Amino acid sequence: MLRIQNLSKTYPSGTQALKNVSFDVQDGEFMVVIGLSGSGKSTLLRCINRLIDPTEGKILWDDVDITAAPPAELRQIRRKIGMVFQQFNLVKRSSVMTNVLSGRLGYANPWMSLIGLWSADEKKRAIDALDRVGIADKAGERADALSGGQQQRVGVARALMQEPKLILADEPVASLDPVLSHSILQYLEQLNKEGITVICSLHFLDLVHRYATRVVALKDGVIVFEGSAQEIDRAKFKEIYGEEAQEVRAASL
Amino acid sequence: MARKRRKSAPPACETAMTASSKPTISALPAALLSALLPGLGQFSARQRYRGVSIFIGFLILTMMTLWYADPRWYFSPVLVWLWNIWDAARQARSQKNGFLLPVLVGLIAAYGIGWQVLQIDFSTADMNRATHILRPMLRPDFIQERRETNEMWVEIFVPCGTDVPTARHEMDGKVAIATPDCAAVLETVIVNVSGMWPNAETEILWETPIGNARMLGGNEDAMLVQNTDENGSLTVLIHVPSLALAGAPDPTLSLGHRVYFNQHRPIGGYELSFVGGEVLKGALVTIAMALMATLFAIILAIPISFLAARNLMSGNPVTMAVYVVVRTLLNILRSIEALIIAFIFVKIVGLGPFAGMLALAFHSVAALAKLYSEVIEGIDPGPIEAIRATGANWVQVVRYGVIPQIVPPFTAFTIYRWDINVRSATIVGFVGGGGIGFLLIELIRISDMRGVSAVFITIAVIVIALDYFSAKVRERLV
Repeated sequence: MLRIQNLSKTYPSGTQALKNVSFDVQDGEFMVVIGLSGSGKSTLLRCINRLIDPTEGKILWDDVDITAAPPAELRQIRRKIGMVFQQFNLVKRSSVMTNVLSGRLGYANPWMSLIGLWSADEKKRAIDALDRVGIADKAGERADALSGGQQQRVGVARALMQEPKLILADEPVASLDPVLSHSILQYLEQLNKEGITVICSLHFLDLVHRYATRVVALKDGVIVFEGSAQEIDRAKFKEIYGEEAQEVRAASL
Repeated sequence: MARKRRKSAPPACETAMTASSKPTISALPAALLSALLPGLGQFSARQRYRGVSIFIGFLILTMMTLWYADPRWYFSPVLVWLWNIWDAARQARSQKNGFLLPVLVGLIAAYGIGWQVLQIDFSTADMNRATHILRPMLRPDFIQERRETNEMWVEIFVPCGTDVPTARHEMDGKVAIATPDCAAVLETVIVNVSGMWPNAETEILWETPIGNARMLGGNEDAMLVQNTDENGSLTVLIHVPSLALAGAPDPTLSLGHRVYFNQHRPIGGYELSFVGGEVLKGALVTIAMALMATLFAIILAIPISFLAARNLMSGNPVTMAVYVVVRTLLNILRSIEALIIAFIFVKIVGLGPFAGMLALAFHSVAALAKLYSEVIEGIDPGPIEAIRATGANWVQVVRYGVIPQIVPPFTAFTIYRWDINVRSATIVGFVGGGGIGFLLIELIRISDMRGVSAVFITIAVIVIALDYFSAKVRERLV
């Protein structure tokens, strides 16, 4: 279980991205974080694996305090948390294979990995991971030769290499068209059914309805809603997204 | 009419327009002011920018004409002055744009005066001289026929003294005799040689005791060539060359001069000529110079480039100050041509490829560091974040997140730099930096146009090959 307690983050510029955020994520949940751009979704996800250090508060994962973990321990924790990014964050000039293998860095022999040597077992894992997302045939290509949807699948495969217990997905489909959005989210849903907890930030409400087992809504760094997707009625929607907002359905685009 | 149109415009716009367009001066005084000082009329008519431009333009045109041109160009400032008076009156009535006439006059004057200053005179292009220089260039001095030489000589004493030995020389069955045994400058000597190859061209050449060769044909400016008869004998009447004693320490001292008889015949096949060999050696030195200079430049540029990368240095005021200083230094260094740096290094370490290499390296450090730092500034932080998220340690993040992003562009820029350095290395040679450029300037000095042509071809081949190679490699990297 992941417990987030009184989490706050103030950037050096003075921006308060998160204000006293607390919630729990049970193992096996597909938790979706919603909110406007700039509401603190990305900061929240990055605090969980400490790509960003929170200013205050605690994050406990199975009673281990992530926020207090020293560097070596933090790396041990991170390798159990896969992450998928809006902009895919692949090394564009490297091959798909190398990008996927880099997901294994937390496990690999540090010296061997530095000279780019990977064991047969790790290579097999990488091919399997690519196979799971249906692009094993692209292993030898340069990452930037792939389409957006394919690049995000490489991103998912890279996360799979970590044998994660938790996957953080930061708007994984915001850069993709609606049809591809479903295919990526279905992979995440599949992984979730196999027991991996997923915390995912999303924009489109119909995607939230379709995939979320629970929803947390952020507005200006504060939690304004917590519950199931079905509970988001018109009033709640206005509260989260503001009076001006109109619901856009991904399927209608 | 104009006033009416202005009234229909929105109020905010009207104030702006009246402020700038309301004439403060009428046409006649404006014209008079501009006649007195070009641009002043326009300036007074609230056309400040125009007025100043006209003044500066008129000033430059006038100075240019007075300093450089002959009197027939004096019309141009006068024309502009007249236009300026007319324009002032026009501006006082209503604003008009248009600079066509003065710009046209200015351009014509600039080109006309430029023509005159450059002393352009196509009649000096002498076709005979050009052919004399260009014809040998059609036969670049790379290779020559392999040939063997049959050489013979006889010693003659100039001028006559006491105890002059007999002018007779025997060698390998060949005999050469001169009559008389001694002679003064310009006196006639009969020389006879036998036992040479029969019916073969024989070059006859004078050599002074200090080893200077003097030609005996024409007005002592052409090689004297005679054929031997069917027995291999040859008799020829020569004059002791007028310059036989030039450079001699004591012209009254009787010393042995030699008359040489040289025969050549091909023995089949070709060989690298002396100049051709020097050209190839020079080319090798030049390429090595560029390679070494690039290597030293890389070693220094990599650490410097990190200091010159804004995204790494903008963290706090101290590093920002370092960034500004490093960037400024790089910009200054980069603006000094390698050729100019080479002058200084030739003074410091002496003539030769080492000086050239240092100059190239110096210039390249600045150029490469700037390019590298721009690569570092362009790094995508996304992949670095993603690699950190996998639990990788710091070194692994650099290896998998940073290096793949910077190595290909670094390599591409480095090859590009090497390419430039090879070209520069030839130029740097001109000022004593060694390599093929140094050879070229020497060959031009002694007017060996066949050698010059060989150098041209070699440089062209190297540059074209390099261009192709570097473009191909960069294509694959970027």
